[in-house]
Amino acid sequence: MCGIAGRILSTPGAVGADLVALMDAQVHRGADSTGFALYGAPLETGFVVRAMASDRAKLSADLDEFHAILKAHGSDFLAEPTWDDADSAHVSTRMVIAEPNSMAAWVRDADTMADRLEIQSVGRSLEIIKDLGGAAAVADKHGVRDFHGSHGLGHARLATESSVSPTASHPFWARPFADVAIVHNGQITNYFTWRERLERAGYRFMTENDSELIAVWISDRMSRGMNQAQALRQSIDEIDGVFTFLIADRESIGFAKDRWAIKPLVSVELDGELAAATEEQAVRTVYRDEVDVINYDGPGMTMTWPTGVDRAAA
Amino acid sequence: MSDLVITAGDLPIRALNRAIRDALAAGDPVTVRDTRSRHNLGIGLPVGARVSFEGSVGYYCGGLNDGAHIEIERNAGWGVGEAMAKGEIVVGGYAGMAAGASMRGGLIHVKGDAGPRCGVAMKGGDIIVEGRIGYLSGFMAHAGRLIALGGAAGACADSLWGGEVWTAGPIESLGVDTKVVEPEPDEVASVEALLAGRGLGDSSRAWRKIVSAEQLWHFESRDASAWLMI
Repeated sequence: MCGIAGRILSTPGAVGADLVALMDAQVHRGADSTGFALYGAPLETGFVVRAMASDRAKLSADLDEFHAILKAHGSDFLAEPTWDDADSAHVSTRMVIAEPNSMAAWVRDADTMADRLEIQSVGRSLEIIKDLGGAAAVADKHGVRDFHGSHGLGHARLATESSVSPTASHPFWARPFADVAIVHNGQITNYFTWRERLERAGYRFMTENDSELIAVWISDRMSRGMNQAQALRQSIDEIDGVFTFLIADRESIGFAKDRWAIKPLVSVELDGELAAATEEQAVRTVYRDEVDVINYDGPGMTMTWPTGVDRAAA
Repeated sequence: MSDLVITAGDLPIRALNRAIRDALAAGDPVTVRDTRSRHNLGIGLPVGARVSFEGSVGYYCGGLNDGAHIEIERNAGWGVGEAMAKGEIVVGGYAGMAAGASMRGGLIHVKGDAGPRCGVAMKGGDIIVEGRIGYLSGFMAHAGRLIALGGAAGACADSLWGGEVWTAGPIESLGVDTKVVEPEPDEVASVEALLAGRGLGDSSRAWRKIVSAEQLWHFESRDASAWLMI
């Protein structure tokens, strides 16, 4: 059992605070770890990188090594990296980098030091923030409520299939696709089959978490010409298990739900805004007045909601 | 008759359900407002109590009901009336997944549609859904009647063990080990009388009654492939 949430604002605002509220209302669904995929004001060039170092004492040396790999790929820090000042051994860092020559090649090289400093998201606007504990604890530690942006995802984890650690938490970035993140409630039963196929195609996975696989699976389909809605439809036929997942990129948030109709999702879709969550009582924290709630209860459902980014461009 | 009002808000659920019981000791009906789709509302109500919930409720509202009359103004989440034995629950809007799961008696009346697995494993009582019942409704039910005026989604009455699923609307598909039979006139009269008592009388309905084909009563593992849905 996990809890997931998605939020789209009609104009950029306190999306971090809303997602913390959505996840705090679902903390009983899992508090092993909590995470957020937040979309802030997009950079015109370069990327925001979120990464987690396993040993705070060695952070400086690890960042130097990370920096050297970046420069070997034609990139550089555009600002000094920042990090949280908590007293945990692990530490979350934020960097702004110039565009590497090849995203896939740089990430592959940077991943050689992933046991010490693991990239958790790369995007023009995506920032994945995740850690151990419930929504309030993670929000307090990382200032999630202060995050200003257009849309995002949230996840409360009750681990069932893989280990509990800061890096095994959701959301997952669709390595190496910029700005794509996923949150997932469920279990994938043909995980190893798909993982082998995707690894043969050159993809790399940092965890043994099935949710990381779905993010890459959808992004792979989209990289070969499908739009998000088509990839989501196909996932229902090809991915086995019980699941409801939300996948986000800059332009949209989409969801897919398995053919057995096991895992719930509800939403409020009002005035160009979206609040979606596992439980209705979560969306009620964002919409206190009586509003119509949509229950996506049927088997094999998908939906794609455009973000404000898309509407502004249209 | 008094008209007592409780505000749910952020009250811890045990304190809230206790406040409802305390209010009922002074009289009824009791109205609960600011419900915020919270879970486990109206659990363990006394026999004969009358409680209405404004707005929508979360999971398991009226669970284990043993004779209370519960009204929900709008929608109910998962498992409304789960394992109830007696009494009545009215859902003004939509009832989420597994409404009336494992119920043993009493009546659940849903004015809108019901979600998947409505009446799953029910062992008695009646569920009336004015709209459509969701995917796999009546799954593995043992006894009781699930009555859907607006038809049924896919895999209707799948693996029905006993009991009856009645529908006056289109059925997307039937589940395994089911058969549609012609209801006897006295059975139709009984269902119509139940509906008329709810203000839903209409003698022109074309009923289909779904019962167990009773093949899974004697399940043999060598026949398993015949029952797989995948």
